[in-house]
Amino acid sequence: MGESRHSLVALEGADLGHGDRVVLPGLRLRLHHGERVALLGPSGAGKSTLLAGLRERLGDAAAWCPQHHGLVPGLAVYHNIYMARLAEHSALANLWNLVRPLRTPWREIAELCAILGLEGLMRRPVGRLSGGQRQRTAIGRALYQRRPVFLGDEPVASVDPHQALRLLTLIEARHATSVVALHQRELALSHFDRVWGLRDGRLVIDAPVTELSLADLDALYPDAEATTAADPGDPAEMAAPAPEALPCSRGRA
Amino acid sequence: MSDAVTPARPAWLAGRAPGPRLARHTLTLVALALLLLPLADLAVITRDPWTELARMARGLAWPAFGAVESPLSALGLTVAVALWGTLGGVVLGIPLALLFARSRLVRAGCAFVRAIHELFWALLFLQVFGLSALTALLALAIPYAGIFAKVYAEILEQAPSAPRDALPPGVGRLSRLVYTELPMAWAQLAAYTRYRFECGLRASVLLGFVGLPTLGFQLETAFREGRYPEAGALLWCFYLLIAALPWWSHRRLVPLLLAGGAFLLGPWPAVDGGLLWRFVSQDLWPAPLRAGDGAGLADWLAHIPDLAPAIGNTLLLGLLGTVGALLVALTLWPLASRHFGCGPSRLAGRGLLILLRSTPELMLAFVFLLLLGPSLLPAWLALSLHNGALIAFLAARHADALAPGMPGLSATGRYAYELLPRIYPGLLALLYYRAEVILRETAILGMLGVATLGYYIDENFQYLMFDVAFFLLLVTAGLNIAVDALSRRLRPRQVPLDDPCLR
Repeated sequence: MGESRHSLVALEGADLGHGDRVVLPGLRLRLHHGERVALLGPSGAGKSTLLAGLRERLGDAAAWCPQHHGLVPGLAVYHNIYMARLAEHSALANLWNLVRPLRTPWREIAELCAILGLEGLMRRPVGRLSGGQRQRTAIGRALYQRRPVFLGDEPVASVDPHQALRLLTLIEARHATSVVALHQRELALSHFDRVWGLRDGRLVIDAPVTELSLADLDALYPDAEATTAADPGDPAEMAAPAPEALPCSRGRA
Repeated sequence: MSDAVTPARPAWLAGRAPGPRLARHTLTLVALALLLLPLADLAVITRDPWTELARMARGLAWPAFGAVESPLSALGLTVAVALWGTLGGVVLGIPLALLFARSRLVRAGCAFVRAIHELFWALLFLQVFGLSALTALLALAIPYAGIFAKVYAEILEQAPSAPRDALPPGVGRLSRLVYTELPMAWAQLAAYTRYRFECGLRASVLLGFVGLPTLGFQLETAFREGRYPEAGALLWCFYLLIAALPWWSHRRLVPLLLAGGAFLLGPWPAVDGGLLWRFVSQDLWPAPLRAGDGAGLADWLAHIPDLAPAIGNTLLLGLLGTVGALLVALTLWPLASRHFGCGPSRLAGRGLLILLRSTPELMLAFVFLLLLGPSLLPAWLALSLHNGALIAFLAARHADALAPGMPGLSATGRYAYELLPRIYPGLLALLYYRAEVILRETAILGMLGVATLGYYIDENFQYLMFDVAFFLLLVTAGLNIAVDALSRRLRPRQVPLDDPCLR
């Protein structure tokens, strides 16, 4: 079904990494327009590297929601979201905006905050927000960029499952194409068209979700495999861990 | 289980863990200092230091506030010079900080102005601008510009880069600075500026030693003439000023202080452009060099007093001072930490540390010199106590922010197992940072008669041999830069950062 669409990024044996260190050697994949891709894999498998590579290739087409948010704690929610459009205003306007918010951005960001459930918090410094509120601010900043492609590095890692669903739907509604790194395997199957699975620096899964089951995705995680091999009692339990049991995003590569 | 092989017991301080590695590092440093100790002249020259000490203590205990002539104007001028001098340093330092990473020239220039102590700058400007406010302000603003440039650049660079990386492409330099780098680093920038202002206060006091009418002028005269009750009163004034710093230097009061200080600054010199130019273009340079006379220059160099002992003494005192500061810091920090002792003991410990760290090292050295006579000993004591107390104070504050994992431990257990392993890397890094400062102070202690480079610089300025004095200043600066480079290489890396912004 993807054959008819044009591809936004085509990697044909590309080496991705940081500086001289290659993390993902000889990578082959295509990102098609209109496709929603879930990016799965254990920590350290190269998810962030792949997203950084895509961001570099997509340039201005990509909205970017980094891991750990990358927010400025000392600035208000409004200013953090405004930063998405810094390049579109003059330096003078940006400076003035710190003194007094510009009219149009203030209105636009207020609308966005209402949708994200951040109403009333626009003037609060990000340093005084809860983890979930920060997460939504980071997503708000990515949405405010208004780009056709959304690249998110675990953008729903620190919110509860209901909010995760809501936020993913919001991202879906505003971007034709998206690539989102996740840890929740069920979400990947229920909310995306395609799954890319990374393990040890290789792309081991690149398939539409219709052809995948939770067990296929489990193969990505060496720990899960080891435990299932040792104790083949209840594979279903392994496949769907409670959200509380999911490792938090801190400290992951 | 019982016949499992016990792994070999490690030898003394063996192992690659940070603990033993830093311990080995420290012991090497201490051993080096002990090895070189016999080379230092540590003789006690005065006959009866104890009577003199008793008189001083009495003066400090019963200060004669009535005897001091116009203490308020001296205090006011001290504060005004520190405030405006620091502000000058900030204004000059910010643009330099932005260029710092990119321009080798800026880095070299900053390293040079930093390497010369405020007092030497004062001596230099004194020749042109006389005993004026301009001399005092330039003496502070110029070295501080170099320091601010470096430290601001480092703080900005170490600010978490995640927000900067998250920006969309094409954001201008100024917007990036004010939206990501400045807010991420603001708290540290402000804290550092505040700290530097406190250093400026001390330096401002010291400017009295070269004759500018700040607090130090009266202090020096009173001490020299043995009027200890008056000296005690002046010292107490200074301590009160420092202790009350958090209240009177509130952010909102700063503009008021600046405006008030502007009135107190003075006298302003009549700047003679021709004279200034002659000083900069002729007086500072050896005549044969200006004439392009190679043989004459060699002759000129031959007339400079033998510098090797002075350089040796400067370096030796720097090393001894650094090691002494480490030992003092390790001994004193528990006194001020909430993990040790009881309420009154902590209060006393904190008071002692604040007293030692607020007293300018030149002042301490001056007092010890009066007691012990002109050898390296008073200088060593002064450097160790002042810098050790400063490091101990910061270490105690670092320790206070930690929560011990095992609450029931004995005091030694807490010291050795819970707290020291966590604060020691930071403490050592701070010490290496101070090593450069200590060396810079070593040079100025020469002005008191200790045979370091500063002694000859002061002497040549007094004989109006500006070319020789300037040459010696350059040698001092070169030495400082070399030691700074060395200490940066030796400094422990991966010091854990406990900044809340990183969490």
